[in-house]
Amino acid sequence: MPRLSRRIYLTAGAAIVVAGVSGCSEVARRVAPARHMGKIPPLPSTGDLSPAVRVLNRAAFGPSPGDVAQVTKTGIAAWIERQLDAPLGPETDESEVWQMRLRLRNIDVLHNESYDLLDWQGDEVRAQLQQAALLRAVYSPHQLRERMVDFWSNHFNIYARKKVGGNDSSPELVEVYAARDNANVIRSHALGTFPQMLQQSARSPAMLGYLDNQLNKKGVANENYARELMELHTLGVDGGYTQKDVQELARCLTGWTVEDRFLRNRGTFLYDDTLHDDGEKVVLGVRFPAGEGERDGIKALDLLARHPSCAHFISKKLVRYFHGMEDEVLIRETAEIYRKTGGEIKPMVAHLLNSPSLISSPPIMKRPFDFVVSTLRATNAETDGKSGVMEHLEKMGQSLFQWPMPDGYPDKTASWTGSLLARWNFALALSQNNVKGTSIDFGADSSPEGLVQRLLGRRPDDPVLADLLEAVRNVAPADRVALMLASPIFQWR
Amino acid sequence: MKENLWSFCDGDGNVSGAASRPILTRRQAIQGGLVTAISSYLGASSLTEVAFASPGSDSERDLLVVLFLRGAADGLSIVAPYGEDDYYRLRPTLGLAKPAGKKQPAAGRLSDLNGFFGLHPALDGLYPYYEQGMMAAVHAVGSFDRSRSHFEAMMTMERGAPDQKGKDPSGWLARFLNAVPTANPTPLRAVAFNTVTPDSLRGATAVTTIPSLNDYRLDLPKPDMKKHGATVGTKAINTALTALYGKGDDEVTRSGRATLTVLETLRRSDPASYKPANGAKYPETGLGSGLRQVAFLRRQNLGLEVACLDRGGWDTHVGQGGAVGWLALQLKDVGDSLAAFAKDLGNDGLKRVTIVVMTEFGRRARENSGLGTDHGRASAMFLLGGGVHGGKVYGKWPGLKSENMEDGMDLKVATEYRCVLAEMIAKRLGGGNKIAAIFPDGNIPPPLGIFKG
Repeated sequence: MPRLSRRIYLTAGAAIVVAGVSGCSEVARRVAPARHMGKIPPLPSTGDLSPAVRVLNRAAFGPSPGDVAQVTKTGIAAWIERQLDAPLGPETDESEVWQMRLRLRNIDVLHNESYDLLDWQGDEVRAQLQQAALLRAVYSPHQLRERMVDFWSNHFNIYARKKVGGNDSSPELVEVYAARDNANVIRSHALGTFPQMLQQSARSPAMLGYLDNQLNKKGVANENYARELMELHTLGVDGGYTQKDVQELARCLTGWTVEDRFLRNRGTFLYDDTLHDDGEKVVLGVRFPAGEGERDGIKALDLLARHPSCAHFISKKLVRYFHGMEDEVLIRETAEIYRKTGGEIKPMVAHLLNSPSLISSPPIMKRPFDFVVSTLRATNAETDGKSGVMEHLEKMGQSLFQWPMPDGYPDKTASWTGSLLARWNFALALSQNNVKGTSIDFGADSSPEGLVQRLLGRRPDDPVLADLLEAVRNVAPADRVALMLASPIFQWR
Repeated sequence: MKENLWSFCDGDGNVSGAASRPILTRRQAIQGGLVTAISSYLGASSLTEVAFASPGSDSERDLLVVLFLRGAADGLSIVAPYGEDDYYRLRPTLGLAKPAGKKQPAAGRLSDLNGFFGLHPALDGLYPYYEQGMMAAVHAVGSFDRSRSHFEAMMTMERGAPDQKGKDPSGWLARFLNAVPTANPTPLRAVAFNTVTPDSLRGATAVTTIPSLNDYRLDLPKPDMKKHGATVGTKAINTALTALYGKGDDEVTRSGRATLTVLETLRRSDPASYKPANGAKYPETGLGSGLRQVAFLRRQNLGLEVACLDRGGWDTHVGQGGAVGWLALQLKDVGDSLAAFAKDLGNDGLKRVTIVVMTEFGRRARENSGLGTDHGRASAMFLLGGGVHGGKVYGKWPGLKSENMEDGMDLKVATEYRCVLAEMIAKRLGGGNKIAAIFPDGNIPPPLGIFKG
């Protein structure tokens, strides 16, 4: 009987959205009964949403001008295919188009070993990490890959401010390891194989430091990482593990630590056999013989990744991310793909994006990062991704790498409705050219109809837009841009 | 965003800016002659604003005001154990004069609390509330973090962990907000009056962090700006936003309407021209201004549930002063600001408000050669509000005999701070069945009976 997570109060409240609003009864049938506290709040109508826009909102961070036409011309299926085919890898050079490399070339954290970053100011490391993430999301042509980076960064959440060493006056925080984590774990495997990503995550100094596994040693086990590994990274809280399993898993991972000895390769993964608990262990009913050393951890991770609960758990999260609800049929189908392929992410995502219910699925409220990126894309903005933009994102409450809990930024609508004023102010600032380091393209046609087409990718005669068009008609053109971006409809994807 | 610098010493006890610890004459020390040596103290506090709830219904919860004294405030001076000889032995210069015979404040002397402890004279503004039973103190309270490091101890306390080994990096107030949800869509449910969200609120998404209420506004373009042929107008944008968010039943439009209502309320009843009730007069300090704004929000029924304020300037390594001096100056601001707040609310208004004043650790029992105090362990907390069984000093008193002190030199922590917070959450904030979720690390000691409910 799994121990109930203390975080159940966070997850149990997550409403499973009933897609009844669009009157799509077929979808309603497939949705599991909602687990929620109280009524499910209604959702807005999406109106006459074009499939191209929906796909660009889900598989990408929203359309840039011209994207809708391009996707329509290519054909959605072909576009998705191309997006799935993005190169993966840790280094900016191989996996990025030259325009991205240009934008990222001055971001030094991307080109440094963790060890070198120990002398940096914490603020600077964090700022650069956030800058790189924003620029990639806004400008990378491999949009789906960047969406997956967003997804996996939350799945394998790390908290930049966690102290992992140093002293009072110069603490060492997880952020010095975050760039390598982002590159080696997330970016290298975002559309790769989940079991491999999991193995890399377990060897990431950022993760080991964040969840205290570097303190996990023989005789003095630290269960923090082992617990979150099961609960949040693989099986899920109902995945069928016991408290004893957590303890045994922790034993498997003893000695998985971070090199911090002088004159060694500091800040890299180190398996320290002297710290390893080498006795026999039993995890999820599987016997691990004594004396296996590092193999204990490797085998345990593999065992978790191949567990049926893992397939289900990962699928459920992916379905939520792309479809905004926990569609039982889709979850089952996607989990089946996971099992058949040994955890290949591409076919799972392909299945979700190509599913006809992607278009009819309920709207998902954009989290602040989503909102900021989609805004910059919609306005064809030229941005440096630095503090000018970031201070707005911070006010909206999603300053990247700053979520303290391992469960990642929440995806409930209710979590983010408090950020509206900050979003409105961002939209206003953008339209007044008042965001340092960022300028937008106002375009030639500033009529309300022209703007809904360019910014929202919508046809002006869509009845759901009538109020918006009316509201902005008697307003100055620059303000129209702000209001479109601030409008309710632009808060959803 | 830049971190707040509360301007205290580095880990080795060297105050930033102070090159050395000169020895002062008694007179200089007591008159706070070393104010300058304490260097770039930031006395500013920031206010946090709160959200939008209508009283009644699910708000049978108190408004919670958390005032964090950053820099390790000297509990032994704030609630001084005048009844213990060792106090005067250890603090020949800094020891505060015993209360006069009668149970009332006398200039420059402690005000008697219970025949053993006395309240620092600079806090005499709060003494009436103690006498009326609305204020309580807890002594020898703290965390089990033994580092005596500001950074570590604040982190421990703001995470609501018993000690440094606490695992959950989110803030205790964040967990509280997540565990005890509100039905109100207000954007001002939890407000931190600050430039940076305090760690106690990390992990909550519905927090507004603003230096002052003036910052909660639409950043509308100036009327004289003409961009792309636009004459941007306040009214037009407001009207448009109201129209855009006026219809709809979903969470976004509902929240939009709530936000616009808050903005409108703030516009209509300008916080700057707020007139406190009952003749209350707030000090013209950051803290005074902050509490004034909390009172304003409370009166406007904007759904505020949690307000976080901070005040620095407690790291009195040198020239701490006694009844007069550096520490007294800081305390005067705290006492007068809180007293003004309480007066403004009135006894009726205070019925559903709980204020908690806490600090990350206390200071050394023995004064040092700079006539200040080094880092210690336990300190004191205050609780103020209608729901407090006031007029008492709670907690076991370990005493100041060296064999009863931690490492022979620091007041021991006899009461863990979470014990106070947990009781407060259970009895005053509607979180009785959520304590384990809010404080996941380790066991909470049983309540001291500080609160009604």
